Amino acid sequence: MEPIKALKKIKKITMDYFTAAHMAPNDHKPVVYCNVFTPVELIYAMDMFPVYPENHAAIIGARKMTTELSSAAEGMGYVMDLCSYARCDIGSIKLGMSPTWGLPKPDLILVINCQCGTLTKWFEVLSRKYNAPMVLIDIPHSGNGEQDVAAETYVRHQLEGLIKTLESISGKSLDEAKFKEVMNLSKQASELWTKMLIMGEQIPAPMTVFDQFVSMFPIVSQRGTETAVNFYGNLVQELEERVAMKIPAVDNEKFRLFWDNLPIWSDLSKLSGFLAERRASVVTSIYTWAWSQLAVNEQDPLSDWTRQYLYTFNLNFDYRVEKYIELARRYRVDGFLFHSNRSCKWISQDVFALRDTITKRTGIPGVIFEADQNDTRLYSFENLEKQIESFLELLETRSGHV
Amino acid sequence: MNKSDPWAAFAEIIRDPWSKIKDIKAKTGKKIIGHILPDVPEELIHAAGAIPVAIAGAGIPISLAQAHIPGYSCSHAMGALELRLNGELNVLDGMIIPYVCDTTRNLYHLWKNLFPDSPCEFLRLPKKIGDSNANQYLKEEYLRISKWLEEITGEKIVDETLGSSILIYNNSRDQLRSAYHMMEISPSSWTASRVISLFESAFRIPREEHLTLLERLPWNVMEETGTGRSRIYVKGKVWDPLEVTDLFDEYGFTLVGDEIVTGKRSVAIDPTIQKDLLQALVDRHMSLIPYTGYHVDPEQMIGDFITRVENSNAQGVVFLNPKFCEAAAFDTPDMILGLKEKSIPSLVLETSSRGTSLSQIRLRLEAFKEILSDDLP
Ligand code: SF4
Ligand code: SF4
Repeated sequence: MEPIKALKKIKKITMDYFTAAHMAPNDHKPVVYCNVFTPVELIYAMDMFPVYPENHAAIIGARKMTTELSSAAEGMGYVMDLCSYARCDIGSIKLGMSPTWGLPKPDLILVINCQCGTLTKWFEVLSRKYNAPMVLIDIPHSGNGEQDVAAETYVRHQLEGLIKTLESISGKSLDEAKFKEVMNLSKQASELWTKMLIMGEQIPAPMTVFDQFVSMFPIVSQRGTETAVNFYGNLVQELEERVAMKIPAVDNEKFRLFWDNLPIWSDLSKLSGFLAERRASVVTSIYTWAWSQLAVNEQDPLSDWTRQYLYTFNLNFDYRVEKYIELARRYRVDGFLFHSNRSCKWISQDVFALRDTITKRTGIPGVIFEADQNDTRLYSFENLEKQIESFLELLETRSGHV
Repeated sequence: MNKSDPWAAFAEIIRDPWSKIKDIKAKTGKKIIGHILPDVPEELIHAAGAIPVAIAGAGIPISLAQAHIPGYSCSHAMGALELRLNGELNVLDGMIIPYVCDTTRNLYHLWKNLFPDSPCEFLRLPKKIGDSNANQYLKEEYLRISKWLEEITGEKIVDETLGSSILIYNNSRDQLRSAYHMMEISPSSWTASRVISLFESAFRIPREEHLTLLERLPWNVMEETGTGRSRIYVKGKVWDPLEVTDLFDEYGFTLVGDEIVTGKRSVAIDPTIQKDLLQALVDRHMSLIPYTGYHVDPEQMIGDFITRVENSNAQGVVFLNPKFCEAAAFDTPDMILGLKEKSIPSLVLETSSRGTSLSQIRLRLEAFKEILSDDLP
């Protein structure tokens, strides 16, 4: 297995980002805490610095610091059933321990709830802790994704209000030229990200979703910057070369799998190694596809965001089923790995119906295993291995793989 | 039903609401609309000529639902699904699930997927409280839900019907407020357990009938000079487990306030009869004590809570937090800190149909009583 060279840069990009984040107050850049789908382009265009507590928590998970940090949050009364991202972040503040030297204090806390409701509550805690103002962009959920004209008005008004808030905190007006430049860079990053994902359709796949997870940091936090464009430009170029030379991500690729839900950060390399040893390449995931749809057009970005938040990121069951089936066909997957994630109830509670519906419609089986994106105390990796092992055996008998 | 005991009727409704509602449906021919708590406007359902019935999932033993929703979901969602799967909810002609959290959102998706032929709507409650755009949106949403209700019942919601529905509910709330007051002045006959049964049952039968049952209660009792009682304030979703109210009585706790959605919160505010009745319902919703799934200024949320507790003159606060309810669990630690600053003790009881031990609750309440009574050495 030949590692992807471009991914080596991710460590430096991450560390440079956090250094800049800590320098932001010295550079007179207001710090804005936000979540993955917030319109970060506005923040960069206003010369503010976006910081992602979710990223911070994921890094804590990847560095295996969850037990210590979330225990600290639990000691403060944040029960173990809460999302482990939130527990890790809150515990990290409490203990002053963090792989990124903590996060700079926020001047504004911004959250968009087309993702989960948990974030709003978690960020409310942060808002009180730092005595920082908080803005919620509230996205009604239309159930099945049908058009909701009243909601469009509601969301648009909130986005207009957000611009005013950002202007008042930064003390500057939104510079249209700068905003366009940022949107353009964001679009380029998003297109390169999509190109990268599509390469997984190749047989053998040149990259697994585990590599995608590792490469996510810039698309989440640095959309709208040259850094993201350069990083994904290099990555795509290398992947094109790998495709041309048929260099696989997993030697002798035998099974092609779909990953549902968030990664298991604490056991990412263990799980990736386990699957690779069994010649299973996890070629796609709905999770990483989310960032392919984030670009907005400079003609009317607020309307584009409104539609995205209401109808794309506001996941509904039918949309998910259609998307999974489309991806399964495009990527020619043999099976689905459904991570029933105790932390992320938002995306996990319909997992049984999801699996059953998809299997019924496509004939492609799926295995559901209960785990957690960060907290290794909430599941057993050995059980998870056993479940996946039996699932691969089942796949073997089904499709006569050799 | 025991005719000589005016309280028994309420207990009976809570024990077996679905038999009762089946009888009512057979007698009246009215459509039955189930709704998940909290905050589905019952007046709208009533004005469309249907009977609203709250579905309480807490306390329902789970077996069938386990195959459809992971065990890390709250008992409200799991229990509601169980009732639908075991056939109890077959009496319903429609169902409304409000958007108050990720779990109710997922419950709606599951419902649509598992029971595609049962009419079910999702009430898209805005999460922002005290925001003019959210007010506007909620009004549009009530209009949308009204149309859906009209299609089910075939009856139009007009000002006249909505006005008289609001009056019935205002009357009911008024009576329930009085009942709550009775609990404070005459706790030995108007016990917490009895009074809460009035509240719980109000959500499960036609309000007109409930009002008639309320008339039979012993409203003319002597005021007691309560000694040895401790005044408590309760925060949570529903009275879960319901037996906790018996324990309040047993340990001499007097409820002086609560934020339970089938408690004092539900009767605190009436919509005013005005020209725009839909707006009156919106205003009522936005003035209620914000449910934990909603968003208000974070600092103010804690401050307002502490003020409500102080105004109630409570000596202590009991949190009834449903297990796996993220919203409640995020709010609680800062609320406890705020209470501590005011030297108000609190007790968190995590409640769930799968794991709540009454004997443990009993022990913890007993210890809490001692703290409040200053009996400790
Ligand atoms: S609940 Fe899920 S989406 Fe929300 S913060 Fe936690 S992991 Fe992220
Ligand atoms: S108890 Fe909490 S998680 Fe359950 S439905 Fe209510 S708000 Fe949602």
